[in-house]
Amino acid sequence: MRFSPAAWAKLLFLRDLGETEVGGFGVTAAEDLLFVEDVVLVKQICTPLSVVFDDVAVADFFDQQVDRGLKPQQFARIWVHTHPGDCPQPSDTDEETFGRVFGATDWALMFILAQNGQSYARLRFNAGPGGEMPIPVAVDYRRPFPASDHDAWRAEYSANVQEEEFFDRIGPAALSDPGSEKKPFVPFGFDRDADVWLDDWFGPFEELPLMEEVALGSHI
Amino acid sequence: MKILYINNDGGGFADYVEVAEGTTVQAFFAARVPHGKPHDYLIRVNRQPAAADQVLREGDRVSFTPVKIEGALP
Repeated sequence: MRFSPAAWAKLLFLRDLGETEVGGFGVTAAEDLLFVEDVVLVKQICTPLSVVFDDVAVADFFDQQVDRGLKPQQFARIWVHTHPGDCPQPSDTDEETFGRVFGATDWALMFILAQNGQSYARLRFNAGPGGEMPIPVAVDYRRPFPASDHDAWRAEYSANVQEEEFFDRIGPAALSDPGSEKKPFVPFGFDRDADVWLDDWFGPFEELPLMEEVALGSHI
Repeated sequence: MKILYINNDGGGFADYVEVAEGTTVQAFFAARVPHGKPHDYLIRVNRQPAAADQVLREGDRVSFTPVKIEGALP
């Protein structure tokens, strides 16, 4: 796996802009799918411990890249995110996402960059008998590359990264049913509003007395 | 009629496909992702959420994109 110098510089810049994790997709050259030319952010909610992409923003990202003439294998195979701290190893959450989201693609790559500069890259093939392997990471200076653009990178970060706003859930775009007033609109497919992950997250605390909640750090 | 279909599964797909008149979003999903579950995708028509029984029209853009992309520290 190789990064263009500009893509690598951008990733380092984005990693260091805040105190949280940050994630995006690696966009590659058409003829070299392991050569990352850009790292593109989507709207996401981030904490120092986690990053959650907004589903609608992911769909918008797909639309934008297709409109640019790119194929999904160029923009939706390399999942990039950072880890504050010194450990680039994937967590259980990372593995769950990599398996569930990228397990249906013919191949995918999980790349993690830690705060101290260590990185982790694992390539997985889902076609045929399948298989996976860690792969080396390098910055490739042999091709022409654009200059750094901190203003644009900062603007992209500001437009997409929302830090630790657990309670401001980002849902699908305004749902409407222009065809009927009587029949409630039920979107086909995943419905973030109906998802219960926050209930799951806070569920164990709901039965605890207040003092135990304080002891566990949920009230500060 | 032709619609633009975007999907990330397999080798990925972003191109025009032929569908029969009267095809619903649900029927199209079942035909294109026979082993998939709708709940695992954000399903949109022309960049908007769609009902299962929405009938596709010429030129529609239909996308099935991944959901719940989440990372965390170990």
